[in-house]
Amino acid sequence: MSIEVINLSHSYKAGTPFEKQVLFDINLSIGEGEFVGIIGPTMSGKTTLAQHFNALYIPRRGKVLIDGLDTRDKQADLVTIRHRVGYVFQNPDYQLFAPTVGEDIAFGPLNQKLSRQEAERRVHEAMAQVGLDYKTLYNRDIFALSGGQKRRAAIAGVLTCRPKVLVLDDITAGLDPRGREEILAVIRDLHHHQNITTIFISNSMDEIATMADRIIVMDRGRIIMDGLTRQVFARFKELQAIGLELPEVTVLVNKLRSAGFNLPAEVLDVREALSLITAALKEMEANR
Amino acid sequence: MELTKNITLGVYLPGKSFIHNLDPRTKIIAATIIIILLLLSRSYAAFAVSALFIGSLMVLSGIPTGYALRGLKPMLPVLVIMWIFQLFLFKEPGATIYFHWWIFEATEAGLHMGNLIILRVLFLFTVTTFLTLTTSVVSLTDGLESLLKPLRMIGLPSQELVMTLVIALRFVLILAEELEKIIKAQMARGVAFDRGNFIQKTRKIFPVFLPLFIGAFKRAEELIVAMDARSYTGGRGRTKMKTLHMGRVDLTAAAGMTAYSGLLIYIIIFTKPMI
Amino acid sequence: MEKLIETTNLTYFYRSGTKDEVKALDKVNMNVFQGEILAITGQNGSGKSTLARHFNALLAPGHGDILVKGLSTGNKDNIPEIRKVIGMVFQNPDNQLVSSIVEEDIAFGPENLGLPQAEIIERVDWALHTLNLEDLRNEPPHNLSEGQKQQVAIAGVLAMKPECIVLDEPTAHLDPRGRREVLESAIRLNREEGITIVLLTHFMNEVVHCDRMIVMENGSVKMEGSPGVIFRKSEEIKTAGLDFPVASQIAEGLRREGFNIEPGIIKTEELLESLCQLKSSI
Repeated sequence: MSIEVINLSHSYKAGTPFEKQVLFDINLSIGEGEFVGIIGPTMSGKTTLAQHFNALYIPRRGKVLIDGLDTRDKQADLVTIRHRVGYVFQNPDYQLFAPTVGEDIAFGPLNQKLSRQEAERRVHEAMAQVGLDYKTLYNRDIFALSGGQKRRAAIAGVLTCRPKVLVLDDITAGLDPRGREEILAVIRDLHHHQNITTIFISNSMDEIATMADRIIVMDRGRIIMDGLTRQVFARFKELQAIGLELPEVTVLVNKLRSAGFNLPAEVLDVREALSLITAALKEMEANR
Repeated sequence: MELTKNITLGVYLPGKSFIHNLDPRTKIIAATIIIILLLLSRSYAAFAVSALFIGSLMVLSGIPTGYALRGLKPMLPVLVIMWIFQLFLFKEPGATIYFHWWIFEATEAGLHMGNLIILRVLFLFTVTTFLTLTTSVVSLTDGLESLLKPLRMIGLPSQELVMTLVIALRFVLILAEELEKIIKAQMARGVAFDRGNFIQKTRKIFPVFLPLFIGAFKRAEELIVAMDARSYTGGRGRTKMKTLHMGRVDLTAAAGMTAYSGLLIYIIIFTKPMI
Repeated sequence: MEKLIETTNLTYFYRSGTKDEVKALDKVNMNVFQGEILAITGQNGSGKSTLARHFNALLAPGHGDILVKGLSTGNKDNIPEIRKVIGMVFQNPDNQLVSSIVEEDIAFGPENLGLPQAEIIERVDWALHTLNLEDLRNEPPHNLSEGQKQQVAIAGVLAMKPECIVLDEPTAHLDPRGRREVLESAIRLNREEGITIVLLTHFMNEVVHCDRMIVMENGSVKMEGSPGVIFRKSEEIKTAGLDFPVASQIAEGLRREGFNIEPGIIKTEELLESLCQLKSSI
């Protein structure tokens, strides 16, 4: 499933004295099976752009094509588009609305008029995919879940509609380190094993660096970079200039570079940094 | 999906006009007088004079008239239904009958009654919207607090009431944004809010209020704790950073208001009412 | 060092006396010393927040005792004084800002204290200046970023001139930049204004800048000490569900490879220095 954005612009409160343009002439295409990170400072337009992908916003200027289907088309079945492009929101409390975990996750298929049996089958499958225990949690009160479990339940609720694309909008906010690691592992797993096209929105370079193959950087409503993760990270000065914080490990490696260590600029995670620093030190010892 | 776009009641549009610069107490008193006079008005002439007056205030304030009236849009269907009801159901012996239809008859009295009610609603809405568009929430509540102060003597907890209002107004926007997010989150899961007729849409909107209220209660609880932590114990013993001052502009406004009120009272007393 | 807050066997139950009673704090003994920056960390549900809410008498101890400057929080008469000493900033800035204008919100606390008008104005100006918020003075909070809102919340507490500010996961919902700026503010208030800081957080890169840390697990204190020492206890850190700071992960890895790097490195700057020394010795 592909997403194509052509000359898209968008304004909030159009036609009022408070009108404010938040997207400027966006062009973008995301192919099947990609893992794309969207990053940018607060208010850069990430969420507004992403909510065009599942037709929560219908373009006024420009267009969005989902698998070639124009979301402006009056005949377009928006509900189907929203099932195909699953969207997980930052705050799971907004997205969960049934009293128990099982009922909530089953909402999508039942709303699609699938049989109770088929719905149950999908709930079972989705709970397994996100690592929620079917036996103990199926009848659990939604409010009794921990923050991390709620987010996984929200993802499961989207998965039961068998989406081809998953949009994850800043889903780790407020989680503790363990909860964060668990949810990121679920996302990686879904991408690799279900071949779901994944669009991962975050304001943390740390997270995006270890997750995405391709990164789109937004600033004040415009796409200012779009490329492979490493290529984007190599332009770290520009990233810092728009107010993004580089991962600590990238900062460290770059400081070591300026101190004369033989290291590349775009190091993304700790393990990689460790092996590169080790190699650099060993090389120095050998050349002594 | 933008819910906050059509909300104009309670929105403040900053500016530097004569109206913006008035003491909030002047504006509150003036709005109250205008509203009382409107409720007493029963002739087209009175409404015409008021329209002229409010219209010129609007021009003076620099508020785009279209925007000020935008908030009326969602009310239009209700207003039309109200007008039709009055037209057919309000009866007065001896009134001219325009036409019959089954058991209903549209009378001249009904027409005027319908017009009167619609005019009142329109004017009330416009005056209150205009007040909030030109007065920030903070000065509005400061003004109210100052005006209500004498009522403390008869036991009215005016400061606490105003504090409640301050917080309520701060949370209106937060809750509207939150409502928008909840609706979007549910739409994303296949609830088709944007399809179906009026009744179907209304029915779908219902489950949305549950998370909204739970969220609102949670916020309220946290806010109470936060206010507690900042030593809030009610109005007693509290001091204020800002005090209000009336100035020359307020005198000018008082003169304008007196002229308008005089004229309107004259019209109310001496012209023939529409009904 | 003088003890500002001292708990002895502090125990607290939620829904105390009912059948769903939950023990949130279990015989906690800890101190906050005057002038320090103390980090309290631990997984969600470990009791951090419950403990913090005892510091300024938002909760009263179930069993045990807690003294703030020698005053027991269990005694209602002490509460106004305790809240003057201990200020508190919460996780969600939207739920703690009262007014629709920044400066009015900062004035809220001093107004509650019944201070004279001139002093309120002076304190609001000072708080705005100290946190570099002067440009936002007349803005409504909904025009600010989450990070800016949190700075306003801190200014509102600062204007009450407390001796200690407790920050309850102030950065949990902020972007990395907002997080850095809030941390910098907290450190600055400590270093320049001498305010004692208690910071509750999940982020280890915030913990490393604190003088001391406490790790909570299941309602009790599991570890207490300087971050440089605590992060060497790798097994305990893992069971408490915490991360290691980036610098300590790399430093440990290099030590395992046999390089001569001193133990207890937790900050990027320390690692940088150590590696540069190593380089020049090669």
